[in-house]
Amino acid sequence: MEKKSLKGYLYLLPALIIILVFTIYPLIKAVLMSFYEGYSIINGSFDAIGLGNYKELFSDKVFRKALTNTSIYVVFVVPCSILLSLLIAVLLNSKIRCKGMFQTLFFLPYVTSVIAIGIVWSWIFNSNYGLLNYVLSWFGIEAVPWLNSPDYALMALIIFSIWKSMAFDILIFLAGLQTISPDLYNAARVDATPKWRVFLKITVPGISPMIAYAFIMGMINAFKVYNEVFSLFKSSAGPANSAITVVYYIYDKFYNSADYGVASAAAVVLFVIILALTMIQRAVSDKKTA
Amino acid sequence: MKRRRIGAMLLTAALATGMLAGCGDNGSSGTGADEAANTAQPAESTDAAGTAEAESGDAQSDTAIEPCEITFWHAMSEQQEVTLTELTDQFNSENEYGIKVTLVNQGYYNDLSTKLTANAAADTLPDMAQAYNSWLIPYLDKVVHLDDFVANDYDNYDDIIESYRDECSQFGFIAAMPFNKSTYVYFYNKTLFDELGLSAPETWEDIKTVGEAFKTEKGMVSLGFDDMAGMLEASLRQNGGDYVTEEGAQFDNETGLETVSFIMDLYSNGYARLVGEDGYFSGPFSNQMIAAYIGSSTGVSYIDTSSGWELGVAPLPGNKEKAANQAGTNLVMFSQDENRQKAVWEYMKFLTSEEATVKWAMETGYLPVRTSAYESDTYQEFMKNDATATAAYAQADSFFSSPAFDGSYDIQSAVNAKLEELILNDADPETALSELVEAVNAETK
Repeated sequence: MEKKSLKGYLYLLPALIIILVFTIYPLIKAVLMSFYEGYSIINGSFDAIGLGNYKELFSDKVFRKALTNTSIYVVFVVPCSILLSLLIAVLLNSKIRCKGMFQTLFFLPYVTSVIAIGIVWSWIFNSNYGLLNYVLSWFGIEAVPWLNSPDYALMALIIFSIWKSMAFDILIFLAGLQTISPDLYNAARVDATPKWRVFLKITVPGISPMIAYAFIMGMINAFKVYNEVFSLFKSSAGPANSAITVVYYIYDKFYNSADYGVASAAAVVLFVIILALTMIQRAVSDKKTA
Repeated sequence: MKRRRIGAMLLTAALATGMLAGCGDNGSSGTGADEAANTAQPAESTDAAGTAEAESGDAQSDTAIEPCEITFWHAMSEQQEVTLTELTDQFNSENEYGIKVTLVNQGYYNDLSTKLTANAAADTLPDMAQAYNSWLIPYLDKVVHLDDFVANDYDNYDDIIESYRDECSQFGFIAAMPFNKSTYVYFYNKTLFDELGLSAPETWEDIKTVGEAFKTEKGMVSLGFDDMAGMLEASLRQNGGDYVTEEGAQFDNETGLETVSFIMDLYSNGYARLVGEDGYFSGPFSNQMIAAYIGSSTGVSYIDTSSGWELGVAPLPGNKEKAANQAGTNLVMFSQDENRQKAVWEYMKFLTSEEATVKWAMETGYLPVRTSAYESDTYQEFMKNDATATAAYAQADSFFSSPAFDGSYDIQSAVNAKLEELILNDADPETALSELVEAVNAETK
């Protein structure tokens, strides 16, 4: 018995070592660094241990802005992406022509580099030549300075990200839809159940584990948004920093400002937020399934 | 059988841990090990330029360099990289010591800066790299002081442009040798300027005249700045003022207000605009959407005149004084090994030699780092047909470099964001000044 479990651990060892070194150790180190004031990663020296970095962090307007922006971003991107994906997944799952082609089309954003897509979208959003403003002009809407105005920058980022994160959601919803027994739909048809009722009572409960999964993963990813900002605004955080996010802030503080302590403190704050929200979600979904 | 398998697994695990331990074990690498391999090289050269013996006793056989390979991290691409490779190949084949320089392209400046920081922390810096002063601040103690090399083994340090020497010794010692230097110049659409009977502005007043002319007669914006914080600094200096020091903002005064109102008026009157989604002005400038802009002299390679217009380049307009931002990185030495340091120095001497800097400047659009290079027949001939080089040279005596200190990056990005915000909100000059001062002082504390 003992021997067997020892062997099990041995099998786990390579993965464990990698996780320890590349995940657990940096995590602990980041927490420690967040308490070192005036820390230098070059020689490991610091002036004092305390809450100085956190004080500086919360008094920094830019960080508060990053936190607000990230929250708005998560609140819009995650639910919108899930709703739209659900709709498209159901359509794709029905008997339509060129299903394979549509599936490929919708999945393309997932396998394409974010930087490449970001460049394309920065052209779509262009105030002079952009496709989006062209389409809007059909409805008599004047050219919107999507990427030039702080009022629209975050909105542009959210639109871009919803489209981008839909790819993954559609894929897992499609997989989920395949697992729902056709008998249920047949029974509903016999009863002449209205379509929206079928959707709410059969489809949604049938793939609820996938929805919960998409929600948690989507939220975690949305909190970590960085690449999208970087690529859409040509390696800046938007006009007058208006689209700065927490991870962008962390990166900027660490590599550009050499404020290692403050960057770590921001990372710890982000970690705590994500951890708390994930735990709440799990508690809620456990209750539901139980 | 079973036992053997467990043994194999243990071995794998041990190997894995060994590898990881190897990664963590830094600091002890470097000295000693490398040169042990080739001790036999005799001190055959007499190195004509060789010069006075070094200061301390440890360098008796100063001129002897054992063959070695040195690594140079750079961020040069396209034509710049081609020329750098050519120069390096020339050095590799011509140097008498058997020094081989390996070029490693690290991507853009940002990537290079990030990698240098990370490698400074891991103690795995390359022998030399391109760098801005501001990057070096976190690991300044790893930068090799070049004072002794310059004093004992350099042909004519005074020949290097003065403002470059100032920049390179900003930390109180010679931290770098200037290499790919550029400056900000005024690019304008000569065709459109001629049409309106205008010439390139020389003063702030001229800028307003040009602005008004383009606004009323063409409905066009006639000025943009690729670098907003750099523009504020240059404008303050042109107005006889000062920008920032480690103590904080130095423009909370009458000169500052005058300068900021001048800038804010340019935008509120529709003479100038922000770059926004275009990233750099070279794009809209090429498409004749804007009549002129101020940006790095190396930006000329991105300006496309194929739609049929003539490009004009002029020195920056001045006000009470002339002041032009200098930009571009310098060469920094990190090697801790004495022999390799000498090898790196040979290469630095080569790259900053008159011949090399002239070739470099003519092929890449950067500027020569030496006065003698500017004055050489080859470069003078080249300047006759190169408006950018001529404009850059015309303001060579008014170059300034932004001081780098702990926090200077934060000031720059805070000022960039603040200026954008103020212009977008069309703030009045008093508000603009006080908010800019506040933004700077929040970073210096």
